[in-house]
Amino acid sequence: MQRKLFSSLIVGAALAVTAQAQTVDTSEWVCEFCPFEDGHRAHFEAGATNVSEDSAYFGDATGYDEDGAYANVDGSGMYTGANTRLRWLAEDLGLDSRVIELDGRLPGSLDFNLGYRELPRRQFNTTATIFDRSGSDTLSLPSGWANAGTTSGMTQLASSLVPLNIERDRSIFDLGAGFVASDRWRFSMDYRRQDQDGLKITGGSSFAQASLLPMPFDYVTDEIDIAVRYDVDNGFIAVGWYLSDFSNDNSALTWEQPYSFDPLIGNDTFAIAQAPDNQFQQVSLQAGYSFTEQKTVVSLSAAIGDIEQDASMLPYTVTSSVPTSPLPRTSLNGSVDTTNFALAVTSRVIDKGRIKFSYRFDERDNNTAQDVWNRVIVDTFASTALETNIPYSFERSSLSLSADYDLLDTVRVSAGYDRKDIDRDFQEVAEQTEDIGWGRLRWQPTSALELDVRGGASERDIDSYNEVFAASIGQNPLLRKYNLAYRYREFGDLSMSFSSDKYSVTLNALYADDSYTDSELGITSGEELRVAADFNWTIAENASLYVTAGLEDMESKQSGSEAFAAPDWSATHDDDFTTVGVGFRIRNLAEKVDLQMDYLRSDGASEIIVDTALGGPSEFPELESVLDYLRFRLSYRQSERLELTLNLLYQRFKAEDWALAGVRPATIPVVLSLGAEPYSPDVYAIGIGFRYRVGAHTKD
Amino acid sequence: MKLLIQAVFIAALLLMAVPSAHGQDAEYSRKGADTCIACHGDAEIMTLFHTKHGAPSNSQGPFGDGQLQCEACHGPGGAHAGRVRRGQERPSVIRFVADSATPVEEQNGMCLACHQNDVGFSWHTGAHPGDEIGCADCHDLHASADAVRQTSTQPDVCFTCHQMQRSETRKAFSHPIFEGKMDCMGCHNMHGDNAATQLARLNVNDTCQQCHAEKRGPYLWEHAPVSEDCGLCHAPHGSNHPGMLTKRAPLLCQSCHSQSGHPSIPQDAGGLAGGSPSQFLLGQSCTNCHSQVHGSNHPSGSRLMR
Repeated sequence: MQRKLFSSLIVGAALAVTAQAQTVDTSEWVCEFCPFEDGHRAHFEAGATNVSEDSAYFGDATGYDEDGAYANVDGSGMYTGANTRLRWLAEDLGLDSRVIELDGRLPGSLDFNLGYRELPRRQFNTTATIFDRSGSDTLSLPSGWANAGTTSGMTQLASSLVPLNIERDRSIFDLGAGFVASDRWRFSMDYRRQDQDGLKITGGSSFAQASLLPMPFDYVTDEIDIAVRYDVDNGFIAVGWYLSDFSNDNSALTWEQPYSFDPLIGNDTFAIAQAPDNQFQQVSLQAGYSFTEQKTVVSLSAAIGDIEQDASMLPYTVTSSVPTSPLPRTSLNGSVDTTNFALAVTSRVIDKGRIKFSYRFDERDNNTAQDVWNRVIVDTFASTALETNIPYSFERSSLSLSADYDLLDTVRVSAGYDRKDIDRDFQEVAEQTEDIGWGRLRWQPTSALELDVRGGASERDIDSYNEVFAASIGQNPLLRKYNLAYRYREFGDLSMSFSSDKYSVTLNALYADDSYTDSELGITSGEELRVAADFNWTIAENASLYVTAGLEDMESKQSGSEAFAAPDWSATHDDDFTTVGVGFRIRNLAEKVDLQMDYLRSDGASEIIVDTALGGPSEFPELESVLDYLRFRLSYRQSERLELTLNLLYQRFKAEDWALAGVRPATIPVVLSLGAEPYSPDVYAIGIGFRYRVGAHTKD
Repeated sequence: MKLLIQAVFIAALLLMAVPSAHGQDAEYSRKGADTCIACHGDAEIMTLFHTKHGAPSNSQGPFGDGQLQCEACHGPGGAHAGRVRRGQERPSVIRFVADSATPVEEQNGMCLACHQNDVGFSWHTGAHPGDEIGCADCHDLHASADAVRQTSTQPDVCFTCHQMQRSETRKAFSHPIFEGKMDCMGCHNMHGDNAATQLARLNVNDTCQQCHAEKRGPYLWEHAPVSEDCGLCHAPHGSNHPGMLTKRAPLLCQSCHSQSGHPSIPQDAGGLAGGSPSQFLLGQSCTNCHSQVHGSNHPSGSRLMR
């Protein structure tokens, strides 16, 4: 493999010399048959689509969330001038998922890109709330509301519910530029702004009850990425600066308590904090070098960063009658230092083999000062316990070493060893290591057939599980958190491919088996099987067909202890997923017609069984999500420039979800929900339109 | 032996860079692209002239003034275009197709001759070249619009090999990849990066927080797994569960929380809507109350309820 790598480099270098030297006499290469473009070339597509019914699921990301007619315009084009090339793209201009892009090269070796993209997220359109959202960050009860201890006692509930869609919109604006100042120097700059606003569902709790709240939010994230790069022969070095600045217009969400409250305390209004403004800056260094003589390539990345968060805090409570001590500080003055380092080296040590080494280091050092806080429990009464904030920090490193060897012309064997270390502060496990060993065999008897098999095992170990610390945060000492626990894993994967002029078949499979043998409580085992396959058939020069399939089975087992002692219950969580896709393409049928059809069926099913010492096994109804998706497109070429199009889209999605099914706002006695229902859209969309090409002038 | 062949090959390439005494390199065709187009003028090939590779205004490109046109990428075509005796196989140029006689590394070398600086050296240390992935396996240089460079079509190119990830994106809860509104490059750097799984930034959280910066904090009350690795609770390519969670709450939460009282109580099917509806199971499950699972900046938010 490494031999090939260096061949690439050397061939590349040689050809670069060839091209740069321009030693070939091209004076007679006039290229009179070359249809060089000059001016504009573009196509526009316009049409109307009718959507059969309202559906948040169908409209999610697409913008087709309501029934009725949509007008839409798409297009793309290119402008070619003497020293300028511009490319533009417009998609879904009539929808909430519109995209506009412009990029190109201007005189003076200046590349640029400009883009605007909208992304509608539609979560539920079956929801309803009692809250009046007249204030952006305040939810008020309707007039005449009768508070009650449980939802069933809320006499005004049914009459107060107002339909409210849970949805949000994201828009992304980006501007980038790159400038090649010389053979050695390059500069690049990217700016991106993401605006996101809408509603999220968030839980707001009182002492023994909760309300699901439609929380308005208004986020802006600005990112700037600037880099300067210097190229040397066979290598480069670059430094960069990255800024990500997040701001949220809403610092809190306040809501009036719909449940009964103590008039003496006056806890009729509650507040939760929203995501605070924060800023991340990072300075980075990247370098790469090819030691051609030594047949070695080195690539390095290093970065140091700083996350700051100093948004003003809310008071301990909005309930004025609850006595509170002064806040230790009014804003967090939070600061996290980050360090990243990565080094990768590949080298061909012998003719038939190569070695690869990589090392990564990743540190999050949370320097936020600790203080003692005296919380007010759900805006109702002061806690008697003082609490100290915990600034989590960790160091994570990963070392990887692998080697390939060409045993035969058709057989390559590989082996590798990985070592991962994580050191953490303020957690049950301070030091954790994982050793991974694997072997791989690749057999390629012909260029058309390839078989690749890999297998290995890993052992994740810990210095000790600090049960004293676990007890200090109230954990059962027998629990082993799955990301901190000892784990032994066996894994293997297989891939196979065959191709001919007409057919290609590929198959990938993966298996992993996890044992958490030291865990009495928590996850005790896990098993995963994934298989995916493709079949492609080129039926004729203008016709092709494909079939895709995928299967997944992921099962995990865990234990718990209701008695806060030894395990007295267990649970099995089994996720299955199958998907099948089939489609065809036919082009130039009777030199006029293009046909395209894609059908997809995906079936997700999750089975949960909870087995308790007292009650025995309890099997939940299957969580199921079945998607049928059909897309058909026909285009008829009326002329060289004009095409007529017909689009048909059908989607049926059926979800069985016990967390939502039958859960109306008053179903749970102590949770006032929004009544979201499982998705069950059965939607079709039919669109007609035309596509028109313009331009495509060629130079004489 | 192979080293010798390689050395001879390299020497031959370098010799190509040296002009002959007559200023004419016989290896190349006599008329450049006109020679090629005489036989290869198919529409699918000629769409190259819709791209910047086919633009004479691109001075560094194959069709810039004095450049080698088709042979800039396909290599010297003199022998290929020349006469062949009856029964003799026509010498091939470098072809960028699956059954090409040209080794992948040589194909890639042609691209890297100009694009090494664009691609970066981590390409060589990344996973793709190790698996003999050619540039042309992903890029279609002759197409008017290269599918892998457009958000709506890029995932299908990646899924040609990454079929399991394609399956995952078809799950009920996933990023809007299936809808063509997000591409793989939003999170991964296909040309190789020194980050694990070729992430766009140097670790998982930095990558996720490009779009989910509200989760970044640091919060007064942090949730330890959140600051460490989003993947501890979320399956970024897709899941059967809302929020792309790896499993259903409350079992997901109970994997790590065993405090006395409700975190340790098993929630069975008796708590569903048809039985005794449980606040620990239905609606948002644990997050009905502990809604600030990504962290809280509220001074009373230590239990992630504020």
